[in-house]
Amino acid sequence: MNIVTRQQGNSTLVDVQGDIDLYNSPEVRKIILEELKEKKVARLIVNLTGVRYIDSSGVASLVEGLKVSRSMSSRFMLYGLSPAAREVLELSRLIRVFEVYGTEQEALQAK
Amino acid sequence: MDYAVKLSFPSDPRYLGVVRGAVERFAALTGFDEEDCRWITLAVHEALTNVIRHAYHNQHDQPVELRLRERDEGMEVVMVDHGTGVKQEEMCGRELDDVRPGGLGLHMIREIMSETQYLPLEGRNELHLFKKRGSKTSVGE
Repeated sequence: MNIVTRQQGNSTLVDVQGDIDLYNSPEVRKIILEELKEKKVARLIVNLTGVRYIDSSGVASLVEGLKVSRSMSSRFMLYGLSPAAREVLELSRLIRVFEVYGTEQEALQAK
Repeated sequence: MDYAVKLSFPSDPRYLGVVRGAVERFAALTGFDEEDCRWITLAVHEALTNVIRHAYHNQHDQPVELRLRERDEGMEVVMVDHGTGVKQEEMCGRELDDVRPGGLGLHMIREIMSETQYLPLEGRNELHLFKKRGSKTSVGE
């Protein structure tokens, strides 16, 4: 698992590479919550292009990020979902609660 | 018929990827299409994470056994642990309209598999899962 954060204008992007499962979702959760709670970023965009597999603990980390972003009045967005990651979010019926975009450009340009 | 594949491994999340690989390939061998293979793999993965978290309370050195076989035009999975058993009435999952982390795994297993049976036995717990070929997993509403 490899996680890199970078800045693009007023957006902070979190690039995640590898599977997000019980083994490494705590690391993803830690970084997302750190950006939102401590750095108080205005827009957090999670790049899932490099994520082939995500389980319920990974989904739970994203849901927690979404809930914290709402409490901090910041935006939380996802892009680059693989078919498998999209299926898991659809099965858990949580896909509709997230702002999901196809590409980085679309996420950055979202009003 | 006996189980074609038996895997024994410790309750360490590092092995989740290894187990997923074995289950996905066995499902393909049994005749499931690529999408169903992904679903079955997810269900078994979620069952294993439940064992690690709830039966063994995140202890990573406890024994888990996984048995796989083909039967009745489908695939049967049995997962055995020796941890804390859960009563059937406590296995409730979460309300899907309640947007919060946690409680998703059990919901996923039930949505994916054709049959799910949990048996808290003397000294061990067994989870029996069966997926029939052709029984598609529906996502969304």
